[in-house]
Amino acid sequence: MRPPAAVTSAEAGGIVDARLGRPAQDLLEAAVVLEAWGGVPSDAALALDAAILPAQVPPADGGRFAAGDAGRESGRASVVAEGVALLVAIVAVAVWAGPLSRQLGAATLEHTLRIALPLTLGLQWTLRSRLLGRPGGLRLLAAAWPEVAAATGATAAALAVAPGAGALAGAFVLIWVGGTVLARRGWGLAYAALVAGEALALGAGVEAAPSLAALAALVLAGCALAVLTATDTATEAPGRLRRALAAGAIGALLGGLLVGDTSLGWGVHGAFPGLALVPSVVGSLWGGYHLWQFHAAVPHGLRGVPLAEAGGRIPGGPAMAILRGALVRLLGATLALSLLVAAAARWTQGTDRAGLFVAFGAAALVCLLASLHESLGYPGWAFAVAAASLAAELAVNRWVGGTVPGLALSVAGTLGTLLALAPLVGRLRSPGRMLATALWIR
Amino acid sequence: MSPPSILLTTEATYPYAVGGVSSWCHLVVGGLPEFAWRVLPTHAGGRRPRPLFELPAHASLAGRIEVWSEQLPRRRWVRDALRGGRASLPAELARGLLGWDADQAALVDALVWCRRHPGLLRATFRSLHAWGAFVEELDAVLAEQPAAAGPAPQLDAVDAATLYQRLYWVARSAAVATPPVDLLHVTAAGWAAIPALVHRRLHGTPLLLTEHGVYVREAYLAAARSCAPPAERFLASRLARGLALATYAAADVISPVTSFNAHWERKLGVAPERIRVIHNGIEPSGDCTPPPGSRTVVSVGRIDPLKDVQAMLHVAAAVTRQVPDARFEYWGPPTNGQEAYARACEELRRRLGLGERFRFMGSTTRPLDVVRAADVVLMTSISEGLPMSVLEAMAQARPVVATGVGGVPEVLHGCGVVAPSGDVARLATGVATLLRNPGFAERLGRRAYVRVRERYTQRRCLDGYRDLLGELTGGTVAAAA
Repeated sequence: MRPPAAVTSAEAGGIVDARLGRPAQDLLEAAVVLEAWGGVPSDAALALDAAILPAQVPPADGGRFAAGDAGRESGRASVVAEGVALLVAIVAVAVWAGPLSRQLGAATLEHTLRIALPLTLGLQWTLRSRLLGRPGGLRLLAAAWPEVAAATGATAAALAVAPGAGALAGAFVLIWVGGTVLARRGWGLAYAALVAGEALALGAGVEAAPSLAALAALVLAGCALAVLTATDTATEAPGRLRRALAAGAIGALLGGLLVGDTSLGWGVHGAFPGLALVPSVVGSLWGGYHLWQFHAAVPHGLRGVPLAEAGGRIPGGPAMAILRGALVRLLGATLALSLLVAAAARWTQGTDRAGLFVAFGAAALVCLLASLHESLGYPGWAFAVAAASLAAELAVNRWVGGTVPGLALSVAGTLGTLLALAPLVGRLRSPGRMLATALWIR
Repeated sequence: MSPPSILLTTEATYPYAVGGVSSWCHLVVGGLPEFAWRVLPTHAGGRRPRPLFELPAHASLAGRIEVWSEQLPRRRWVRDALRGGRASLPAELARGLLGWDADQAALVDALVWCRRHPGLLRATFRSLHAWGAFVEELDAVLAEQPAAAGPAPQLDAVDAATLYQRLYWVARSAAVATPPVDLLHVTAAGWAAIPALVHRRLHGTPLLLTEHGVYVREAYLAAARSCAPPAERFLASRLARGLALATYAAADVISPVTSFNAHWERKLGVAPERIRVIHNGIEPSGDCTPPPGSRTVVSVGRIDPLKDVQAMLHVAAAVTRQVPDARFEYWGPPTNGQEAYARACEELRRRLGLGERFRFMGSTTRPLDVVRAADVVLMTSISEGLPMSVLEAMAQARPVVATGVGGVPEVLHGCGVVAPSGDVARLATGVATLLRNPGFAERLGRRAYVRVRERYTQRRCLDGYRDLLGELTGGTVAAAA
């Protein structure tokens, strides 16, 4: 039977309670419920008085959710893919370095690496920011093929006019950046197998130029296949171009930092310093993977923090906890693996100098912190940190020279870490404010 | 002389989504070529949307507002740097949209600032001072306890940040440039109204609001039905209320599609003389064919909680117990963002053991053919304006069983079966009765057909809008040949 057209406040309150399982939030909600589900005409429903409302705040009725961002999981996969590809690339440098030095000359190889590594990191950061770090990143990459083709053409043109070793650097860049795409597709093992095959071929005395060209062609074909057969669904538009370019610039500067220290002897000392870089890269991977929870864990951790404290400092809050966890993982893994690599020094052509491990550890810290600044929407600060670190490295090179292995990179890394850490801690200590003003206003 | 120009603002509908509002937009825009139409859609960010309606030659897109996207408004570096931000902006928007007795003029002032400084919005919302001022103001708004509002739920830091982000997108919507036009025609008293509110304040252009469903009512219903925590429900419904009241205050004329909406609008403070009901219209079928007799029950609509598809599934289960050879077809895609609801409906279909007796058919580009193949048309919505799906069924002389929401009882008066929303037993009895009595069903369909021809034709609908739009753009406009 339909309720009467006119109802008393008590009856109305009863109907609302029965329909909602709680009192109405305001008179408008009561009117809507009475009209839509109680059969009360809108005129009568809207004429009710406040007597049907509760006098006290009703208790929270559970069901709190952990605000997350499903799309971030793809980004996390992208970071892992990028890390795996970088790791494989570094091991490749280490293993290929000896044969390539012998065939091409140490100076040429060193020069090539100085061009290729920053360019690779720059392109990887750009790709991640604009395409691969998003849900359905490979689909986005497929849709953006004219843009990608233009960028590839521009890179090739720039390398062609670069003095010396342009083609070789181009092959390195293609192989390493392509590795990111293949790893993002879940074909990391196949990519590692290709790189290992190249190492065997070079070790067996196969000529470097054609074999590297063949590998580059294979990786390129693999990328095309990866993109064409991608099954994921793109639910977001590509990232902002300006932000992607800024990310690329930061990546390139950080790549420059890795090859800017003349004492490291890239390409000169065989597998060293490539193997010395492995511990810090693994540490970065682990730390970065932990850090990627940020977007989901911070809102989750802030649930229940009263509004009055939303703008205040919470030193032990979720943001600082995640940062601490990431730093502990990075430093712990770097230290443990450095000891391992140093212990195996007689098989790794003398990679046992502590200074190098410290230098690469410091560089990994800068990369991690700059990456966090960038992801929080402060690319300017990340760029400044990377640029200041590179400038410090070049300055130490110039005034101290390359006599102490890894000194310039250690100084640069330490400076960059301090520059990045101070404002970051300031922001992360107020996680409510950071969530509202940085994470959610992109 | 150039024709009068109209800016039509839409929200999650025309031309990117199918549904009753989109069909109405297409009818009005296409049927009134004596006006130059500019369409400004608001839609959720993500992939670039694909238009599902082709705009006629006398209409064009005036851009689009993509909310929740990463794209930034154009920034004028030097000018913006010189002027600086407005740290009080988020607090002003919170006050203007969530306060129970908000100052509408102050709210529109804040929105106008957004239009004038699009390049400063991101920096403003990222500023620490803006966040601090916002938290203080929000605290103050929540502490107020007007008699009609009751105590506010306790908000936490995440709720505050969620609201802050929504206000940023309100500001971004206000910042979108609008072309010079003679009339603003807003199709929902919500996000679609934001750019029009600013335009009206800046240029004095008249604003017409056409409400299909009552925006604030639907927002409250959606919040009430959701399992969200109190704070989330509170923010969603209060924000909708703020937007709706600001639109009502600014609208020169409100033209609801049914008298039902007009009741709500009057009670929410709109002066009766500003309300002019113009019913939706449809072109009735030339011939009045009898139902096919295949015991097919058809529904056309998006898969959305407002359509209460789950009640429909229960109705189907009840009907098939009485009429075992009855078949139900649901035509329409899930609403964007309601994919989880669609999955829950599919799961319920399985749980009820309906099998092939209830099928989700997906989208259709030929709704009239679909309806013509029905013996009974069923609608179980919990909120409607004047649903096109009901008019389409009536125009094909098909009997309708529907919930008595919005303008449905007014339209189906004497020619259909109306039951209270959510009353599965009554709806099922109505459907089963019509399936078992095809003669009665046919007579009811014919009466519906006659009623549409008399009162709900496209011509009447378009004539109503032609007169109103002509009046608001400064004169009478002759119908195009």
